[in-house]
Amino acid sequence: MSTKPLIRPCTLIWLVLLALTGLTYFVGKSGVTGMAVVSFVLLTTLFKSQMVVDYFMGLKHVRPFWRGLLFGYLLLVCSMIGLAYYLSLA
Amino acid sequence: MDTSRQHDSGALPGDFAIWIFIFAELLVFGVFFLAYAFSRANNVELFNESQLELNRLAGAVNTIVLLTSSYFVVRAVASIRANDTRHCGHWLLAAIAVGGVFLIIKMFEFGEKFSAGVSLSTNTFFMFYLSLTFFHFMHVILGMVILAAVLLKTRRGGYSADDHTGVETGASYWHMVDLVWLILFPLVYVIH
Repeated sequence: MSTKPLIRPCTLIWLVLLALTGLTYFVGKSGVTGMAVVSFVLLTTLFKSQMVVDYFMGLKHVRPFWRGLLFGYLLLVCSMIGLAYYLSLA
Repeated sequence: MDTSRQHDSGALPGDFAIWIFIFAELLVFGVFFLAYAFSRANNVELFNESQLELNRLAGAVNTIVLLTSSYFVVRAVASIRANDTRHCGHWLLAAIAVGGVFLIIKMFEFGEKFSAGVSLSTNTFFMFYLSLTFFHFMHVILGMVILAAVLLKTRRGGYSADDHTGVETGASYWHMVDLVWLILFPLVYVIH
């Protein structure tokens, strides 16, 4: 019996990324605003970016320092964008 | 270079020099993104009104296009690791072609804005929109040139399962271009 998976992990990640992109687009199109929506979109962006880092760039199994450096960058950028939007609502 | 040994050691894929370049590029884009976000905090109405004039669908389609191109590059790397040079070349060619689709959509978007009289001096939002997206556009072109060079060497039999650092180096740069767009799209086109 073949042990080949039905779908490659990278193909699955690619499909998940496409689905989340569609979701982000429809959130934008719906016109809904507010900190909850901004937080949702930024968390989705953070998740998508980390998927690209781990599975496309292939950093899931490199030294934790390098993966942590990129995650730290993404977390910092998304958090600061969130802070800027929070300040604009305050 | 023995890539399997490189993976066992937990080193970054590809040539380390490209990672210095990637981190530098990410730093520049990060500063750009935060400058946009904090400028917006002082001009919320202007940014929200101007953002409505963007073609959000084109932005979303381009996100899908870049993710797909990145996926093709992942398949190219997997092919060369399996010593399948022919398929590696095919996936690289597909990735470059899809990268070309990104450029065409972006040029259509730029054309739309320029014909509507939008320029860098229209307002702060469009100054950021045009600068950020054009800066990224130039990185897509550079990424395509790098992938084309990798493709040529692949077709000449320059890479194998044991020696494919160049393929991983080009792939890493291309994924960085994708990564930057993943932040740029929601920031400039979606959240308001």
